[in-house]
Amino acid sequence: MIYNAEDWARLRNAVFGVSLLAWVVILLEPRASPCCAVNAAGVSWTVLLAAHPPASLAGNWALMLIAMMAPMLVAPIYHIRISSFARRRARSTMLFVAGYGIVWMVAGIVIVVAELIAVWRMPGSYLPATIVGLTAVVWQASPFKQRCLNRCHSHRPLAAFGFAADLDVFRFGLEQGLWCTASCWAAMFFPMLLPEGHFTAMAAVAILMFCERLDPPREPRWRWRGFGTAARSLSLRLRAPQPDPAPLTALS
Amino acid sequence: MATTYTRNNAWNKGGNLTNPDLLWYAKGVGKMMSRGLNDPASWWFYAAIHGEYVTPANIQPAFPGWKFIKAPPTVPTSPLPVSGNQNLYWNQCQHQSWFFLPWHRGYLMALEAQLRKDIVGLGGPATWALPYWNYFGGTNGSQYQMPPAFAAKKLPDNNPNPLFVNMRYGPDGNGNIYLPTPAGEAAHPGDPNFSRGQVNANYMSNDLYTGHDQVTKLPGFGGPETLFHHGGGTSGNWEGNPHNLVHVYVGYYGAVTAPLYGLMSDPGTAGLDPIFYLHHSNIDRMWAVWNANGNANPTKSAWLTGPTTRKFVMPGTNGQPWYYTPDQMKDLAKLNYSYQELKSPPAPKAAGLPKRLALLGAKDAAAEAKKAPATPAKPKVTELLGASARPLKISGRVSKAAVKLDAGVRQKTTRSLAMAAKTAAPDNVYIKVENVRGTFDATVLSVYLDLPEGAKPGENRQYLAGNIALFGLRRASMKDGQHAGEGLTFILDATPVIDQLHLKNEFDVESLQVSVIPADPLPENADITVGRISIYREGF
Repeated sequence: MIYNAEDWARLRNAVFGVSLLAWVVILLEPRASPCCAVNAAGVSWTVLLAAHPPASLAGNWALMLIAMMAPMLVAPIYHIRISSFARRRARSTMLFVAGYGIVWMVAGIVIVVAELIAVWRMPGSYLPATIVGLTAVVWQASPFKQRCLNRCHSHRPLAAFGFAADLDVFRFGLEQGLWCTASCWAAMFFPMLLPEGHFTAMAAVAILMFCERLDPPREPRWRWRGFGTAARSLSLRLRAPQPDPAPLTALS
Repeated sequence: MATTYTRNNAWNKGGNLTNPDLLWYAKGVGKMMSRGLNDPASWWFYAAIHGEYVTPANIQPAFPGWKFIKAPPTVPTSPLPVSGNQNLYWNQCQHQSWFFLPWHRGYLMALEAQLRKDIVGLGGPATWALPYWNYFGGTNGSQYQMPPAFAAKKLPDNNPNPLFVNMRYGPDGNGNIYLPTPAGEAAHPGDPNFSRGQVNANYMSNDLYTGHDQVTKLPGFGGPETLFHHGGGTSGNWEGNPHNLVHVYVGYYGAVTAPLYGLMSDPGTAGLDPIFYLHHSNIDRMWAVWNANGNANPTKSAWLTGPTTRKFVMPGTNGQPWYYTPDQMKDLAKLNYSYQELKSPPAPKAAGLPKRLALLGAKDAAAEAKKAPATPAKPKVTELLGASARPLKISGRVSKAAVKLDAGVRQKTTRSLAMAAKTAAPDNVYIKVENVRGTFDATVLSVYLDLPEGAKPGENRQYLAGNIALFGLRRASMKDGQHAGEGLTFILDATPVIDQLHLKNEFDVESLQVSVIPADPLPENADITVGRISIYREGF
């Protein structure tokens, strides 16, 4: 009905498990990554595409999404589960994931094509990654990014019956996908363009995206954002236990 | 052990300025009001710790922006504190959270220490402590009226009384501040065509701080488990009633004042009104009574240590920040104050399981349950039973929504009610009023189930599922606010109404009609929308 810590933990563990599995697949099968990591020097566009058929690129992109994005979906999936009839929860969750996934797959087309072009034109160059990386840094600090992050926290009330319920969760997925893409497009694009260090960059971006979702919604303005809540939380957990300051002394 | 201060009943000595606790409170408040907005020892700074509408992130083009508050008091809007102090102290109040009670306890302790320091500086008693307004107290509950000291415009020395506030309108919108407790209602019967939600202490019968069972509805007496939570979501039971209702009724609005409403009705202005702290002193006192009645606070470290993302902190009287945790606040006996009275109000007449079983025709089971009361069972399943199809705009005298029921889930509840004699574990049924958004905090809405057409709600309380006060609505609805504009969500126990419908064979229906009725006619442009009304069953 509302947030319950035990139910939340069960869902979180399941979703994190799926993400972890995807990471393992990616790490064990380096080619299962949409980044070409290919030596495209002197290769024609046709040959390049033949080496990386669209279906394969799409599959690899989807795997990357599952690995990196799944942890961010615990909250909206929880909202769906407590808002739906028990018999519809799995169906509603799948429809939500479909809506969310569609947006990111469309974004993936743009990103992967741009990546292919960059690799083909400037094989081994760090320039494309540098340009996109700098753009990502500026975007990260911008008020537009904050607005998108804020919207990611927003959960619409959902219809409960029939086609209206299906449509609502699908639309919810599309909305979450749109705000998520708008928030993270630059950070997701950056690792794709690195000639080397792609997986490390992927992991770093995944950590950034997870940490920034821990931050509560805030006023959109220019500021460094992403690790505030996570850093404070870690710092407080790592601090040695403080002696009881006996509130009376401080207040008398 | 440090001195134990005693917080006294504000109604001592007639509740007027001959009561030294109130006279010195007034003087202390006046002293704090003389300081600037940026001074951590100022009245205004302390109010902003709770919530504010004065920083660029929260500034409003009209009331409740602090710039538009009608004096008295004259509220400064500059100079703002340095950003470090704003980030450290301001906008901390914990609402719709299990931190609601301990955070406010620390808040009051800090303010009280500052006031005492100023009062002593003015020649007052070193034993001074913050009084409480026990709106359930007095002979036959007569203390539902605000102590007269707060209505006096002048102090005995003819200076303006800092306890008096212009924007405090009361349930009749005329500055007469009383609360519709059972005694208050009897003295001020409202219009039966509307529904004035009663302020009561029924949730003192809860047995769980967080969570739910057969006698405690979600989210529990103290509130739901959260991280640092400045508002939005679902209020704890004690926060819902009496806390939220008192806030709304003391502030409120009138036909001539609307769309303005009283300072107490909005968390971003409530801390400016000196009555706020006497209200919270009572809320705090009754938490202590609830504990003394044998009810435990949470033992999870997530509660004890407080949120890890932002610590609770108040300005210390020594100029240093005072950090505190719920663990330090949980036991009144370990703190430096106590209360003049630490007893329960008259025990609320909770139906209890035996009475309910008897009502459902399970007389033997009822007798068994009465003979050997067991620990209230925890629900085995909570699931959606029905929901409305579209958002509901709240306006006028009554707003209605059809809540369609799922036949299969409804049958589970019907079966459990019919089998009560055998199982002694009939379902509980709750209404969830979700994603209430808007900008008009100052109203109390009563939620009725299947109220017959033409029936006067005030005379047909048997159909009443519960009352919701919209304290915190505006801030919870801000899209870039801490709760992403989700608004407020309320959970009401519809079990007694469903039992009655079941007994009249009126529950096996396709849908139930929910009527949302305000306590008084809403202003024409009052902006309130309910995202969804849903019904849930809890099976045991």
